[in-house]
Amino acid sequence: MNRRTVFVTLAVVAVLIGGFYYLRSLAWRVFHEIQGGEESVHARLNQEALQASSGVQQAITLYFPADDGSGLVTETRQMLWAVADTDRIRQIVLALVEGPTKTHNRPLPPSTDIRAVFLTNDGTVYLDFSNDMLKGFAPGIQSETLTVYSIVDSLAANVPAVKKVKILLQGQEVETLDGHIDLTGFFVPDTNLGGTAN
Amino acid sequence: MTFHPRASTLRLASAGVVLALILLIARPRALRSDNFVFYLPRGHQVVPTETIGHEQYLPLIQVLNAVASVSGLQEKQKSLVVYVGSVHLEVHLDNPKVKVDNTQVALPSPVRVSNGQWMVPLSFLQLALPKIVPERLAYRAGTDRLFIGDVNPALFTVSLKPLSGGSRLSVEFTRPVKVKTASRNGRYVLYLGGQPVEPMEGSYHFQDPYIADLTFDDQDGEPKLIVTPGSAALNFYPSEAAGGKTLLVDLAKPGMPLPLQGTTTLAQGGAPTSGAAAPSTAAPSTGGEQKPASPAATNVPAVPPAPPLPAVVLDPGHGGDDPGARSRDGILEKNLVAQIEDRVRAALVATQKYRVVLTRVGDTDPDLDARDAVANVTHPVAFLSLHAGNYGNAGTLVGVYTYRFASPSTPLSPERLVPGFVLWDRVQSTHLERSRQLAQALQTQFATLSGTVALPPREAAIHVLRGVDAPAVAIEVGSVSPDLDAGALTDGGFQDRLSTAIAQAISAFETSPAKP
Repeated sequence: MNRRTVFVTLAVVAVLIGGFYYLRSLAWRVFHEIQGGEESVHARLNQEALQASSGVQQAITLYFPADDGSGLVTETRQMLWAVADTDRIRQIVLALVEGPTKTHNRPLPPSTDIRAVFLTNDGTVYLDFSNDMLKGFAPGIQSETLTVYSIVDSLAANVPAVKKVKILLQGQEVETLDGHIDLTGFFVPDTNLGGTAN
Repeated sequence: MTFHPRASTLRLASAGVVLALILLIARPRALRSDNFVFYLPRGHQVVPTETIGHEQYLPLIQVLNAVASVSGLQEKQKSLVVYVGSVHLEVHLDNPKVKVDNTQVALPSPVRVSNGQWMVPLSFLQLALPKIVPERLAYRAGTDRLFIGDVNPALFTVSLKPLSGGSRLSVEFTRPVKVKTASRNGRYVLYLGGQPVEPMEGSYHFQDPYIADLTFDDQDGEPKLIVTPGSAALNFYPSEAAGGKTLLVDLAKPGMPLPLQGTTTLAQGGAPTSGAAAPSTAAPSTGGEQKPASPAATNVPAVPPAPPLPAVVLDPGHGGDDPGARSRDGILEKNLVAQIEDRVRAALVATQKYRVVLTRVGDTDPDLDARDAVANVTHPVAFLSLHAGNYGNAGTLVGVYTYRFASPSTPLSPERLVPGFVLWDRVQSTHLERSRQLAQALQTQFATLSGTVALPPREAAIHVLRGVDAPAVAIEVGSVSPDLDAGALTDGGFQDRLSTAIAQAISAFETSPAKP
């Protein structure tokens, strides 16, 4: 093998190795740095919602799935109430993510992240969750129904401006929550699922 | 001509790099080919399919010629207009929207051209073809056959019984089938007389030392069952009973006298055939009767009456890559509901009142609209979607759900409202009252199950129910939760009782008057 062939071979190998490392660093940026940036924005928004206190302690009614899966049960807790409705909505959802203090079921896994909250003039709330909402989620007709209505009923019970709720995942409308419940519609509060104080 | 080793090495290296890049970038378009069979009143047509990307495609013109008659064509570079009688169909390259007369139909995958042929995805058969041909079309999503017009396929169920020194496979058809047998490469082929047959399952696998599996095949247009013996050198005794409605296949160790009273040996030859070691060829039937080998041999199960029978559609939830719920002891919802579906199907067929149509066969996951489409081409008396979910630590329970639209105020754009048409995703609204009656009938039966909590009927926004044009409910058993074992739900006794209750509820519901 002469010098020219060696040189060309080395050049091709160098280009391939360089390309591989460039693509790897690009993938790292796309999948880690940008997502990490998004996560820090969500965390900051959540922090602001929790800190944007009006100074008023408010008794909040939260709806959690009963531990026998039969319906929803309520739990009341005191909360430093935010000023804006969207911050209050975020506070309530974060409280649901935090979970019940009694032996009720969690409606949402602890990894759930709220990406965005919108409240329109006609009382429609758009809640945009990250895909983490489905990590560790136990799918099923009843469990998905209770998850949806624990959110909808908790919001309607505490924020009078909320009339109906649209749930998005990762900024998109999805067909189902986790294979069962239709998320293409708008949910209005359902008082038939229980809501017994416990 | 002078040979330059340096230039040749350089060219070789360049060609290698280019080839590697091509292999990296280019994806194989057509991976494999199978056949699709159209069963017509006058015979059958076999049309080759092609897998493009991950989707199965059919050649459009061949399909239209198989089911109707193409009277004209206008082909441009990127579009095609086909005239079938008074209907005209317009398709565009790489576009999922096709136009039938003035109606636009959106297919889930785009129209393609492959080897100069216009190709349409299989969903074309469900979504567009019914608008083109006037005859009734019966197509079950996920299968490779379509029945047209008055063609009513025979259905069959399969059971396996152990015998002394062998096993008996029993195949019960809904009407007499003329069977001829042959031996091919150590397997036994049972030709079903050329008449249309719709298998419930593509193949059956057995944990049995004498029979490994039974496979249905009609890829060449000739329906047949293929029996794979558990090992070589087994004797093969095919026979028929119940006037040709029951096919019995005994596989036994050599020298075991098995055949039956009241049965007729099939076209296979009088002497039993050895397995792979010495396969026989088909021979004329002896038509003789033989003595029973054991009392069990005379126990021929009841045979369902011939169709048309009202259909019940069973929809085992999830499947394929979607396992659904998972229990602490590793039970997957998709497998559990498939087990339950199997027993419910047997219980319904045993009533001799219904035929059963499945939305999924084996471990596949058709999308929710495809499941609805199965119901909507079948026109069943009931659609049952089977699920298992998390009810916490509430013991063994079963719940029945009807569809509820998430919100009556869900905005609907005006262009979606067409006078005289019901939207696909709202069609269940026209059956809600009957669906509630079905749920009540099921709950009444479930309440009689000992050791099981029967929840009162509920409403939920269950996606798979909303597009079903028939009374439809979802049945969810529980609890399948990551914190609990689901062992009790896999118990055969529980599943049998549940299935019997479902069959009784369907009978009671079907005979109950519809409330106004």
